[in-house]
Amino acid sequence: MERQNLGFTIFLYVCAALLALMILAPFAWLFIMSISSTNDLVSKPLRWWPVETDWSRYRILTDFTPNSHGAALMSALGNSIKIAAIATVAALMVSVPAGWAVSRTPAVGWSLWLVIGTYMLPPVALAVPLYMGLAGLGMLNTKIGLAIVYLTVLAPFTTWLLKSGFDPIPRDLEKAAAIDGARLDQMLRIIILPLAAPVIGTAALFAYLLAWDEFFYALLFTSDYRAKTVTVAIADLAGGRVADYGLIATAGVIAALPPVIFGLVMQRMLISGLTTGGVKG
Amino acid sequence: MSTLDLIGVSKSFGRTEVLKTIDISLASGEFLVLLGASGCGKSTIMNIIAGLLSPTSGEIRIDGKRINEVHPKNRDIAMVFQSYALYPNLTVERNIGFGLEMRGVPKTERQAAVLKVARILKIDGMLGRKPAELSGGQRQRVAIGRALVREPKIFLFDEPLSNLDAKLRMEMRAELKRLHRLLGTTVVYVTHDQIEAMTLATRIAVMRDGRIDQIGTPEEIYDRPATAFVAEFVGAPPMNMINAILDANGLRLEESGQRVALTIGADAPREVILGLRPEDLHLADASEEHAIAATVDFAEPTGPTLIVFARHGGNPLVASLPPHLQIAPDSQIRLTFSRKNMHIFDRASGNRIQT
Repeated sequence: MERQNLGFTIFLYVCAALLALMILAPFAWLFIMSISSTNDLVSKPLRWWPVETDWSRYRILTDFTPNSHGAALMSALGNSIKIAAIATVAALMVSVPAGWAVSRTPAVGWSLWLVIGTYMLPPVALAVPLYMGLAGLGMLNTKIGLAIVYLTVLAPFTTWLLKSGFDPIPRDLEKAAAIDGARLDQMLRIIILPLAAPVIGTAALFAYLLAWDEFFYALLFTSDYRAKTVTVAIADLAGGRVADYGLIATAGVIAALPPVIFGLVMQRMLISGLTTGGVKG
Repeated sequence: MSTLDLIGVSKSFGRTEVLKTIDISLASGEFLVLLGASGCGKSTIMNIIAGLLSPTSGEIRIDGKRINEVHPKNRDIAMVFQSYALYPNLTVERNIGFGLEMRGVPKTERQAAVLKVARILKIDGMLGRKPAELSGGQRQRVAIGRALVREPKIFLFDEPLSNLDAKLRMEMRAELKRLHRLLGTTVVYVTHDQIEAMTLATRIAVMRDGRIDQIGTPEEIYDRPATAFVAEFVGAPPMNMINAILDANGLRLEESGQRVALTIGADAPREVILGLRPEDLHLADASEEHAIAATVDFAEPTGPTLIVFARHGGNPLVASLPPHLQIAPDSQIRLTFSRKNMHIFDRASGNRIQT
């Protein structure tokens, strides 16, 4: 809009600034905490900016000598990266075909709603059966075991997301490909999946973040360095008699880095509007 | 070059009967246009021929061989969609060559075939582009190219020109006609545009409510419409339909009681519709006997003709008259017509009564 009055423009910028503030403020506070001295963090009234910056905790957490805080956090980071990756890849392998099938066959749409209905159940209701199941399979405290549990959480969500992503891809394209002689796999590989790439990227990103941030199941189903994830490892830091808030905050900052990097990489896939131009004028 | 036969084809979706016993027989090289309003079942026929839908009953034959059970890709049919259905992520070259690629034609051979077709359609300069970078007319050409390159037995066109503007539509229409003459392939073409039907077809099938009202050459459809529906659907402006009574002495127009003497008659008075094409109406001399009196509403000069909208009693009456006539609103005119241009339909059934 070219003819916009000044007041409205200011209003828009204020709204945008408020949104940015709401999203960034907690992270900013986390970072400030990580470089504040313990004295600054417990003083009253609260000091919003440390008297002097203290980077020592970053040194503690990047010190990998065995049995240190740093080694525990690093192994947990590694576990988290692997578990989230396995769960995300598995979720996509399940939900790409499922999402496409539901999108193309509205008659079976009810099944998706049924699955999404299980989302309404609180995780704690499923905790006991899942625990017994994993125990029976001997998969407690394993990365694969936790990844399988995450798959049950991620797959309904990604299927639903991908279905909405497949919906706007015109069916005429599939008919044309069928007449052109493409097999089902060729049609999906050459035509449909490239067109759905942005939404597949979005699904992967959100699935990864969901798995990364999960705490409850990870706490229940893992017990040591072999499978413990970073969310649990951070909670462990608060477990002693004296909680060092600064150390927890520092671990939080470090734990935020992998998903941020993953997000930046995936961002390139999230370009929408790829379907324009194929149909109509 | 192939023949196509539809024998007693019907289609139902659940309890809805979309097609009711369709019989069509096409000779090799024919250009059949399925003409009808939306929802009449013409696209369903097209999808059944393509193999995208299965008929509920009946048989489809190409070159005399039943193909009901044959997969679309093995029917040797190419289809051009109303939406073009170009693959947005592939270049024009790959779009056109996709059918050949899927059939395992070697790359060099494929490129040569694509280039040849692109030259015919004058899109050889844009083979490297994506569909989004093309204009509507160019996309249409690519869609046609994709069908042409496979040299199929039968072409199917599903309202291919309806997304183009008027001028482009006319150009592409001429192009399609030229292509059909060049290739001589059998074509089935779906449209709701009667001008496209009249100009392109060797035969037109006018459809209504899942059945074919009339199938015939454009001349037959226009000059001897089999039903009142066909008569009104084909022709612009549409045919005037005037309620009348047919009795032993000829016709009596219901609104005015005016009589038109006819050689045929009916023993018992019969309710009919008198159909008169606007271009068959002429201004009558004072001496002319069988003429319809009408009151002018307004006149529209279109250039080559003057379209006069008038009323005969409560019946609207449209006449297409020579230009430059001075016809004022609310004036009285008398319109005459030749007996051979009269179309008479039974009012209850809509069927043509032979005159």
